[in-house]
Amino acid sequence: MDNLNVLIVEDSSADSDALVKVLFSNGYNVVGVATSYKEALDLFYKNKVDVVVVDVFLNGNPDGIHFAETINAAPYVSKPFVFLTSSNDRQIFEKAKLTRPFSFLLKPFNELEILYAIEMAVEKFNSQTNVFFSQEQNTVVTNEYLFVKKGKALKKVLISNIVYIEVEERYCNVVTEKEKFVILISLTKILNLLDASKFYRTHRNYIVNIEKVVEIIPADNLIMLSGNHKAILSNKYKDFIKKLRVL
Amino acid sequence: MIKIKLFTFFLLVLGFLPKKQSDKHLLNVEIKKNVEKFKGEINFGKASFYFMEKNWDSTLVYSIKQLSDTDNKTIIDFCHYFRAISFKQKKLLNEAIKEFNEISNDFLFPYKVKLSLGEILLKQNKFRDAIACFQEINRLPENSDIDFNRSAVVHNLGICYLHLNQFDKAEKYLVKSSELHLLDKDTLMLIGAYTDIANLYYTQYKDQQAIPYFERAYHLSKKVNDFKLKSSVTLNMAVVEENRGNFPLALKYRKEYDKWKDSLNNQSEIWAVAQFEKKFAVNQKNKEITLLEAENKLKIAERNGLLYSFVLLLVLLVVGIYYYMQKVKNNKTILAQKAKLDELNATKDKLFSVVSHDLRSSVNALKKSNVTLLENFKTNNLDKLNKLLQNNVAIANSVYSLLDNLLQWTLLQTKQSYFKKESICLFQIVEQMSYNYKPLMLDKNIHFENKVSKSDLVYVDQESLKIILRNLLDNAIKFSNQEGTITVYSLDVESIHCNLIVKDTGIGISKINQKELLKETALLSKKRNEGVIGTGLGLQLCKSMIKKNGGKFLIESEEGKGTKMIVSLPKNNRHG
Repeated sequence: MDNLNVLIVEDSSADSDALVKVLFSNGYNVVGVATSYKEALDLFYKNKVDVVVVDVFLNGNPDGIHFAETINAAPYVSKPFVFLTSSNDRQIFEKAKLTRPFSFLLKPFNELEILYAIEMAVEKFNSQTNVFFSQEQNTVVTNEYLFVKKGKALKKVLISNIVYIEVEERYCNVVTEKEKFVILISLTKILNLLDASKFYRTHRNYIVNIEKVVEIIPADNLIMLSGNHKAILSNKYKDFIKKLRVL
Repeated sequence: MIKIKLFTFFLLVLGFLPKKQSDKHLLNVEIKKNVEKFKGEINFGKASFYFMEKNWDSTLVYSIKQLSDTDNKTIIDFCHYFRAISFKQKKLLNEAIKEFNEISNDFLFPYKVKLSLGEILLKQNKFRDAIACFQEINRLPENSDIDFNRSAVVHNLGICYLHLNQFDKAEKYLVKSSELHLLDKDTLMLIGAYTDIANLYYTQYKDQQAIPYFERAYHLSKKVNDFKLKSSVTLNMAVVEENRGNFPLALKYRKEYDKWKDSLNNQSEIWAVAQFEKKFAVNQKNKEITLLEAENKLKIAERNGLLYSFVLLLVLLVVGIYYYMQKVKNNKTILAQKAKLDELNATKDKLFSVVSHDLRSSVNALKKSNVTLLENFKTNNLDKLNKLLQNNVAIANSVYSLLDNLLQWTLLQTKQSYFKKESICLFQIVEQMSYNYKPLMLDKNIHFENKVSKSDLVYVDQESLKIILRNLLDNAIKFSNQEGTITVYSLDVESIHCNLIVKDTGIGISKINQKELLKETALLSKKRNEGVIGTGLGLQLCKSMIKKNGGKFLIESEEGKGTKMIVSLPKNNRHG
């Protein structure tokens, strides 16, 4: 599980310091604090950013919006944004008419509010709303990552690292080569959200990353996975074998 | 000779006609009775009236109208009778015969029908048929019910036979008729009868018998005024004398004849003059009528003009009234708006003064506190220092929230605020908002609980919800005593709304104040708690925000026990 990388675009050092402090103490990784449009673009493309917290006004210009628009204009690089705004620049912010789903936060804000705004931004960006605060689910699934809420913080897991997922009632045990953890999501939901060409169901309770399969032992109904993990292959899902490239 | 005969007969038939009408009284009585009986039949009444008035054309018109819409046999018979007589009088003999034939056998006056038929046949020279008719009538007994001139019938019979050259019978009837005429003292008819008898004999060359009758007729004629009769009788005498060879006498009669003829002509001339006069009078009347018509036209034109101008005026009046009403209505609206604006303005002014007063006192308190702080800083009284700083923080906080409310209120009034409804997790927002108040509550030792269900979602604007919660929590803390409890919880009362309740165990609100608070544009000027800032602005803002989000606001409170602020918010409803 990795921390989320946050880029802060904020010209006021008092505000950005407070932000950095709050984010750091809640398990976020701040990749940088930009104070201008140019710097922001620079930092954005240099780092692997998961979320951007951006002030609408930078040095008296609505550069925050311009920055977001620039990012959104390029395909596949867009990230969730959290806009920071004060009451008096809200009108300009409104005029910008951001069509993208976005999250905004009115200054001044407290710790809970900024964390909530970031989580909402991730949800909205991935069109999976009401996840982190519902009792049925705590994970947003994207193409690349699983975003999991752990306590107050948000963590990410690279999906390609997952070896297999074992379902236990409402929970899923996610097993990577290095670690093992529990997320809250239903099996059907996660199956729908995961790339169907990589993840297959081999058993009522097992989802396997096809790239991590080392050996299949049909006699024992066992699938050997990398990192010495094992998954069960039930008769019902034996078609799974055909989908494997026979070496 | 033939000339004489023809002349005489013609006279007789004509002479017979006026006789006929005089004995109509029985018929008239009967007609009147029937008119009474069939009062509803207007056309019958009119036909009868014109019949008795001898206005034949009108009779024909109304009787045909009546015939076209009646089934009553009596009326039909009467109508046919009227028509027959009218045609006869108009000399449309064939039409008359047709009408007479239409009359049914039940008709009350069959003998009159026969009589008229006989006369017509006689005129048409159908003597044998005429005789049949007349004989039939002649055979009727003398009776008061039957009312006709027997002498005329007998006379006509005689004439018929005379035409048929049945001289014996002719003689018998003519003589009898002359006797009857004598009895009736009807000189005209008597002259006719004598002339006919004379003719009878004369045609048989019984001159000796004929001449006395001619003479008698001639003498009698001197007593009457009928010039036509006189002239014909005189002519007869002249012809007789001429035939006898007594030319001087014949000449005398001729002259006399000429005289009567002239008289007759004179009469005709007078008649013609009368006709001319009548025509002239008619023309005159026509002229008058045209004049009157022209006048009428003028009057109509005048009247129309008046009417049009009246209508125009009326329309103008209506339009005027409409615009007047509209104006009154507009004025009313403007007045109402003005009143509202005045009220709002007053509210604003009041708010201004209250807010500035509060700010002034708060800042003043801060100022004083800072002075003491400085003093204590010099004396290094750290305990006091900490306390004073905390006090300052509290004052700054309250001033900040007041200013924030002021800003929000202004934004709301000027409709500048960003407003976007979305599905929001109620629990999270309550958590976030209460986070700010944690130190304040800790300071007052207030126990806080967020019991809002995590699954409750509401569909509102997030910033509005935050403002509402901030104010409610602020109030709850403000009006709570030390060691109090504040609970925030949700109640899923109905399918559309979710109730969010902020409950405290504070001082409560009196019923009167509750009502005041729920009133629109109400601001509490009275300070209920010393040292506590209360403008009512916060609650006012809450109410406006709740309303804008489609929610409802309620207060449940008991003085001394605590207050429940209930906010009913629309649930997550994407379709609505």
